[in-house]
Amino acid sequence: MHSGPPPRPAAPPLTRRRALSLGLAAGGLGLAAPVLAGCAAGSSDGPDPLIPLVTRARSDAALVTAVITADPSLTGQLDPLRSARSDHAATLEQEIARVAGTTASPTPAAAPTAPQAGADLNAVRQAVADAAREAAGLVGTVPIARAGLVGSVAACCAAYTAVLGAAQTS
Amino acid sequence: MSVPIDDEAITALQGALAAEHAALWSYTLILAFVPGDQAVEARQDITAHRTLRSQVEQTLTDVGARPVSAQPAYATPVPVTDALSAGKLAVTAEADALAAWRSVLEHTTNQQLRVAALTALSEGTVRASRWRAATGTAPVIPSLPGIVR
Repeated sequence: MHSGPPPRPAAPPLTRRRALSLGLAAGGLGLAAPVLAGCAAGSSDGPDPLIPLVTRARSDAALVTAVITADPSLTGQLDPLRSARSDHAATLEQEIARVAGTTASPTPAAAPTAPQAGADLNAVRQAVADAAREAAGLVGTVPIARAGLVGSVAACCAAYTAVLGAAQTS
Repeated sequence: MSVPIDDEAITALQGALAAEHAALWSYTLILAFVPGDQAVEARQDITAHRTLRSQVEQTLTDVGARPVSAQPAYATPVPVTDALSAGKLAVTAEADALAAWRSVLEHTTNQQLRVAALTALSEGTVRASRWRAATGTAPVIPSLPGIVR
Protein backbone atom coordinates (compact mmCIF):
# COMPACT_ATOMS: atom_id res chain seq x y z
CA MET A 1 0.00 0.00 0.00
CA HIS A 2 1.52 3.26 -0.98
CA SER A 3 0.82 6.58 0.53
CA GLY A 4 0.96 9.31 -1.96
CA PRO A 5 0.94 9.52 -5.71
CA PRO A 6 3.31 7.48 -7.79
CA PRO A 7 6.70 9.06 -8.24
CA ARG A 8 6.78 11.24 -11.24
CA PRO A 9 9.51 13.21 -12.90
CA ALA A 10 9.19 16.90 -12.34
CA ALA A 11 8.96 17.53 -16.05
CA PRO A 12 8.08 15.39 -19.01
CA PRO A 13 10.95 13.74 -20.81
CA LEU A 14 12.29 15.97 -23.48
CA THR A 15 13.02 14.70 -26.89
CA ARG A 16 15.14 16.86 -29.07
CA ARG A 17 12.53 18.14 -31.45
CA ARG A 18 9.87 18.65 -28.85
CA ALA A 19 11.08 22.02 -27.81
CA LEU A 20 8.83 24.82 -28.78
CA SER A 21 10.74 27.90 -29.63
CA LEU A 22 9.58 31.26 -28.46
CA GLY A 23 8.00 33.26 -31.20
CA LEU A 24 6.94 30.39 -33.36
CA ALA A 25 3.87 29.74 -31.31
CA ALA A 26 2.27 33.14 -31.74
CA GLY A 27 -0.69 31.57 -33.50
CA GLY A 28 -0.73 28.47 -31.40
CA LEU A 29 -2.08 27.62 -28.01
CA GLY A 30 -0.05 30.19 -26.18
CA LEU A 31 2.64 27.76 -25.21
CA ALA A 32 5.41 30.21 -25.76
CA ALA A 33 5.19 31.73 -22.32
CA PRO A 34 7.97 30.63 -20.04
CA VAL A 35 7.22 27.44 -18.26
CA LEU A 36 6.65 28.00 -14.60
CA ALA A 37 9.04 26.16 -12.42
CA GLY A 38 8.34 22.49 -12.18
CA CYS A 39 5.10 20.68 -12.28
CA ALA A 40 4.28 19.91 -8.73
CA ALA A 41 3.34 16.28 -8.63
CA GLY A 42 1.40 16.53 -5.43
CA SER A 43 3.90 16.29 -2.67
CA SER A 44 3.17 13.51 -0.27
CA ASP A 45 3.41 15.66 2.81
CA GLY A 46 0.71 18.01 3.86
CA PRO A 47 -3.00 17.74 3.37
CA ASP A 48 -4.35 16.63 0.04
CA PRO A 49 -4.79 19.73 -2.13
CA LEU A 50 -8.16 18.44 -3.32
CA ILE A 51 -9.67 18.73 0.17
CA PRO A 52 -10.56 22.43 -0.22
CA LEU A 53 -12.38 21.55 -3.45
CA VAL A 54 -14.47 18.95 -1.64
CA THR A 55 -15.29 21.38 1.14
CA ARG A 56 -16.32 24.03 -1.34
CA ALA A 57 -18.40 21.62 -3.39
CA ARG A 58 -20.30 20.51 -0.28
CA SER A 59 -20.85 24.04 0.88
CA ASP A 60 -22.06 25.06 -2.59
CA ALA A 61 -24.55 22.20 -2.62
CA ALA A 62 -25.76 23.30 0.81
CA LEU A 63 -26.04 26.90 -0.35
CA VAL A 64 -28.09 25.89 -3.37
CA THR A 65 -30.35 23.83 -1.13
CA ALA A 66 -30.89 26.84 1.10
CA VAL A 67 -31.61 29.09 -1.87
CA ILE A 68 -34.10 26.65 -3.35
CA THR A 69 -35.79 26.26 0.02
CA ALA A 70 -36.15 30.01 0.28
CA ASP A 71 -37.37 30.37 -3.29
CA PRO A 72 -38.72 27.15 -4.80
CA SER A 73 -39.25 28.88 -8.15
CA LEU A 74 -35.47 28.55 -8.62
CA THR A 75 -35.58 24.76 -8.38
CA GLY A 76 -35.54 24.10 -12.11
CA GLN A 77 -32.68 26.47 -12.66
CA LEU A 78 -30.53 25.44 -9.71
CA ASP A 79 -31.25 21.82 -8.89
CA PRO A 80 -28.90 20.52 -11.62
CA LEU A 81 -26.16 22.64 -10.08
CA ARG A 82 -26.81 21.11 -6.68
CA SER A 83 -26.49 17.64 -8.22
CA ALA A 84 -23.33 18.61 -10.02
CA ARG A 85 -21.67 19.98 -6.89
CA SER A 86 -22.66 16.91 -4.87
CA ASP A 87 -21.21 14.78 -7.65
CA HIS A 88 -18.01 16.81 -7.54
CA ALA A 89 -17.66 16.30 -3.80
CA ALA A 90 -18.17 12.54 -4.07
CA THR A 91 -15.83 12.09 -7.03
CA LEU A 92 -13.09 14.23 -5.54
CA GLU A 93 -13.38 12.32 -2.29
CA GLN A 94 -12.89 9.04 -4.13
CA GLU A 95 -9.74 10.43 -5.69
CA ILE A 96 -8.43 11.60 -2.32
CA ALA A 97 -9.09 8.15 -0.86
CA ARG A 98 -7.43 6.46 -3.84
CA VAL A 99 -4.21 8.37 -3.34
CA ALA A 100 -4.30 7.99 0.42
CA GLY A 101 -4.71 4.27 -0.09
CA THR A 102 -7.63 4.17 2.26
CA THR A 103 -11.26 3.59 1.75
CA ALA A 104 -13.27 6.74 1.67
CA SER A 105 -13.02 8.83 4.76
CA PRO A 106 -15.72 11.25 3.88
CA THR A 107 -15.18 14.78 4.91
CA PRO A 108 -17.92 15.81 7.25
CA ALA A 109 -20.98 16.82 5.37
CA ALA A 110 -21.47 20.52 5.50
CA ALA A 111 -23.59 21.33 8.49
CA PRO A 112 -27.18 21.75 7.52
CA THR A 113 -27.16 25.28 6.38
CA ALA A 114 -28.95 27.47 8.80
CA PRO A 115 -30.92 30.06 6.93
CA GLN A 116 -28.09 32.20 5.69
CA ALA A 117 -28.46 35.86 5.24
CA GLY A 118 -27.91 36.58 1.58
CA ALA A 119 -28.52 33.02 0.42
CA ASP A 120 -29.90 34.02 -2.93
CA LEU A 121 -29.22 33.53 -6.62
CA ASN A 122 -26.52 36.15 -6.50
CA ALA A 123 -24.70 34.24 -3.76
CA VAL A 124 -24.88 31.12 -5.91
CA ARG A 125 -23.42 32.99 -8.88
CA GLN A 126 -20.57 34.20 -6.74
CA ALA A 127 -19.98 30.77 -5.22
CA VAL A 128 -19.84 28.95 -8.53
CA ALA A 129 -17.53 31.56 -10.02
CA ASP A 130 -15.22 31.17 -7.03
CA ALA A 131 -15.36 27.39 -7.40
CA ALA A 132 -14.41 27.64 -11.08
CA ARG A 133 -11.49 29.87 -10.22
CA GLU A 134 -10.25 27.64 -7.41
CA ALA A 135 -10.34 24.47 -9.51
CA ALA A 136 -8.81 26.20 -12.53
CA GLY A 137 -6.01 27.39 -10.29
CA LEU A 138 -5.09 23.80 -9.51
CA VAL A 139 -5.29 22.45 -13.05
CA GLY A 140 -1.77 23.45 -13.99
CA THR A 141 -0.05 21.73 -11.10
CA VAL A 142 -1.98 18.62 -10.09
CA PRO A 143 -0.47 15.23 -10.98
CA ILE A 144 -1.40 13.94 -14.38
CA ALA A 145 -3.84 11.39 -12.96
CA ARG A 146 -5.89 14.23 -11.50
CA ALA A 147 -5.76 16.81 -14.26
CA GLY A 148 -8.82 15.52 -16.08
CA LEU A 149 -10.96 15.40 -12.95
CA VAL A 150 -9.96 18.84 -11.68
CA GLY A 151 -10.32 20.24 -15.21
CA SER A 152 -13.82 18.82 -15.57
CA VAL A 153 -14.86 20.28 -12.23
CA ALA A 154 -13.46 23.65 -13.28
CA ALA A 155 -15.17 23.49 -16.69
CA CYS A 156 -18.52 22.55 -15.14
CA CYS A 157 -18.37 25.44 -12.69
CA ALA A 158 -17.20 27.85 -15.40
CA ALA A 159 -20.12 26.81 -17.59
CA TYR A 160 -22.59 27.37 -14.76
CA THR A 161 -20.99 30.75 -14.17
CA ALA A 162 -21.57 31.62 -17.81
CA VAL A 163 -25.13 30.33 -17.82
CA LEU A 164 -26.21 31.88 -14.50
CA GLY A 165 -24.64 35.22 -15.31
CA ALA A 166 -22.21 37.33 -13.38
CA ALA A 167 -22.84 38.12 -9.73
CA GLN A 168 -24.14 41.61 -9.15
CA THR A 169 -21.93 43.65 -6.95
CA SER A 170 -24.16 46.16 -5.30
CA MET B 1 13.19 29.61 -23.62
CA SER B 2 11.51 26.51 -24.78
CA VAL B 3 8.55 24.54 -23.68
CA PRO B 4 8.69 20.78 -23.79
CA ILE B 5 5.82 18.86 -25.26
CA ASP B 6 6.31 15.13 -25.22
CA ASP B 7 4.98 12.53 -27.62
CA GLU B 8 2.08 11.64 -25.42
CA ALA B 9 0.85 15.22 -25.41
CA ILE B 10 1.31 15.42 -29.16
CA THR B 11 -0.84 12.34 -29.65
CA ALA B 12 -3.54 13.87 -27.45
CA LEU B 13 -3.35 17.13 -29.39
CA GLN B 14 -3.75 15.21 -32.65
CA GLY B 15 -6.88 13.69 -31.12
CA ALA B 16 -8.18 17.14 -30.30
CA LEU B 17 -7.43 18.28 -33.84
CA ALA B 18 -9.28 15.29 -35.29
CA ALA B 19 -12.29 16.13 -33.10
CA GLU B 20 -12.17 19.76 -34.23
CA HIS B 21 -12.13 18.66 -37.88
CA ALA B 22 -15.13 16.44 -37.23
CA ALA B 23 -16.98 19.22 -35.40
CA LEU B 24 -16.42 21.63 -38.27
CA TRP B 25 -17.70 19.09 -40.78
CA SER B 26 -20.72 18.47 -38.56
CA TYR B 27 -21.60 22.13 -38.24
CA THR B 28 -21.59 22.55 -42.01
CA LEU B 29 -24.27 19.89 -42.15
CA ILE B 30 -26.10 21.31 -39.12
CA LEU B 31 -26.35 24.73 -40.75
CA ALA B 32 -28.46 23.26 -43.51
CA PHE B 33 -31.14 22.06 -41.10
CA VAL B 34 -31.50 24.54 -38.25
CA PRO B 35 -33.69 27.65 -38.20
CA GLY B 36 -32.27 31.15 -38.29
CA ASP B 37 -31.62 31.74 -34.60
CA GLN B 38 -29.82 28.43 -34.22
CA ALA B 39 -27.93 29.07 -37.43
CA VAL B 40 -26.56 32.23 -35.85
CA GLU B 41 -25.36 30.17 -32.90
CA ALA B 42 -23.97 27.48 -35.17
CA ARG B 43 -21.93 30.08 -37.05
CA GLN B 44 -20.47 31.36 -33.81
CA ASP B 45 -19.63 27.81 -32.85
CA ILE B 46 -17.96 27.28 -36.21
CA THR B 47 -15.83 30.35 -35.62
CA ALA B 48 -14.77 29.00 -32.21
CA HIS B 49 -13.88 25.59 -33.64
CA ARG B 50 -11.96 27.16 -36.53
CA THR B 51 -9.91 29.14 -34.05
CA LEU B 52 -9.16 26.03 -32.02
CA ARG B 53 -8.29 24.06 -35.14
CA SER B 54 -5.80 26.62 -36.35
CA GLN B 55 -4.26 26.95 -32.89
CA VAL B 56 -3.72 23.23 -32.61
CA GLU B 57 -2.37 22.99 -36.15
CA GLN B 58 0.05 25.81 -35.45
CA THR B 59 1.19 24.27 -32.19
CA LEU B 60 1.73 20.86 -33.76
CA THR B 61 3.64 22.40 -36.63
CA ASP B 62 5.78 24.37 -34.21
CA VAL B 63 6.88 21.22 -32.43
CA GLY B 64 7.65 19.45 -35.68
CA ALA B 65 4.60 17.20 -35.82
CA ARG B 66 2.46 16.92 -38.92
CA PRO B 67 -1.13 17.92 -38.06
CA VAL B 68 -3.69 15.26 -38.91
CA SER B 69 -5.96 16.06 -41.82
CA ALA B 70 -9.73 16.13 -41.88
CA GLN B 71 -11.59 13.14 -43.25
CA PRO B 72 -13.56 13.76 -46.42
CA ALA B 73 -16.74 12.84 -44.53
CA TYR B 74 -17.85 11.50 -41.18
CA ALA B 75 -20.52 9.03 -40.14
CA THR B 76 -23.26 10.66 -38.10
CA PRO B 77 -24.70 8.59 -35.24
CA VAL B 78 -28.20 9.14 -36.60
CA PRO B 79 -29.25 10.48 -39.99
CA VAL B 80 -29.58 14.26 -39.97
CA THR B 81 -32.95 15.13 -41.44
CA ASP B 82 -34.33 18.02 -39.44
CA ALA B 83 -33.51 20.63 -36.79
CA LEU B 84 -33.72 18.15 -33.92
CA SER B 85 -31.41 15.56 -35.45
CA ALA B 86 -29.07 18.36 -36.48
CA GLY B 87 -29.03 19.64 -32.90
CA LYS B 88 -28.26 16.15 -31.67
CA LEU B 89 -25.33 15.96 -34.05
CA ALA B 90 -24.04 19.19 -32.50
CA VAL B 91 -24.40 17.61 -29.04
CA THR B 92 -22.35 14.61 -30.21
CA ALA B 93 -19.71 16.68 -31.98
CA GLU B 94 -19.25 18.90 -28.94
CA ALA B 95 -19.11 15.90 -26.59
CA ASP B 96 -16.42 14.29 -28.75
CA ALA B 97 -14.41 17.50 -28.75
CA LEU B 98 -14.77 17.83 -24.97
CA ALA B 99 -13.53 14.29 -24.46
CA ALA B 100 -10.54 15.02 -26.69
CA TRP B 101 -9.67 18.20 -24.80
CA ARG B 102 -10.01 16.46 -21.46
CA SER B 103 -7.64 13.85 -22.80
CA VAL B 104 -5.11 16.58 -23.56
CA LEU B 105 -5.32 17.60 -19.91
CA GLU B 106 -4.66 14.02 -18.89
CA HIS B 107 -1.62 13.63 -21.11
CA THR B 108 0.57 16.56 -20.34
CA THR B 109 2.30 18.18 -17.40
CA ASN B 110 2.90 21.30 -19.46
CA GLN B 111 1.11 24.07 -17.62
CA GLN B 112 0.44 26.25 -20.65
CA LEU B 113 -0.99 23.33 -22.55
CA ARG B 114 -3.18 22.43 -19.60
CA VAL B 115 -4.48 25.98 -19.36
CA ALA B 116 -5.25 26.00 -23.09
CA ALA B 117 -7.01 22.64 -22.82
CA LEU B 118 -9.04 23.82 -19.83
CA THR B 119 -10.15 26.91 -21.76
CA ALA B 120 -11.26 24.70 -24.64
CA LEU B 121 -13.04 22.40 -22.19
CA SER B 122 -14.83 25.28 -20.42
CA GLU B 123 -15.89 27.14 -23.54
CA GLY B 124 -16.94 23.91 -25.21
CA THR B 125 -19.10 23.02 -22.22
CA VAL B 126 -20.99 26.29 -22.67
CA ARG B 127 -21.40 25.67 -26.42
CA ALA B 128 -22.58 22.14 -25.76
CA SER B 129 -25.06 23.36 -23.13
CA ARG B 130 -27.00 25.38 -25.73
CA TRP B 131 -27.39 22.40 -28.03
CA ARG B 132 -28.21 20.10 -25.13
CA ALA B 133 -30.91 22.53 -23.98
CA ALA B 134 -32.27 22.86 -27.52
CA THR B 135 -32.52 19.10 -27.93
CA GLY B 136 -33.84 18.33 -24.46
CA THR B 137 -30.62 16.56 -23.47
CA ALA B 138 -30.20 16.50 -19.69
CA PRO B 139 -28.20 17.54 -17.85
CA VAL B 140 -27.61 20.66 -19.88
CA ILE B 141 -24.26 21.01 -18.11
CA PRO B 142 -22.83 17.60 -17.18
CA SER B 143 -21.08 17.50 -13.83
CA LEU B 144 -17.87 16.22 -15.39
CA PRO B 145 -17.58 17.57 -18.94
CA GLY B 146 -15.38 15.49 -21.20
CA ILE B 147 -16.23 12.18 -19.61
CA VAL B 148 -17.92 9.98 -22.13
CA ARG B 149 -20.81 7.99 -20.83
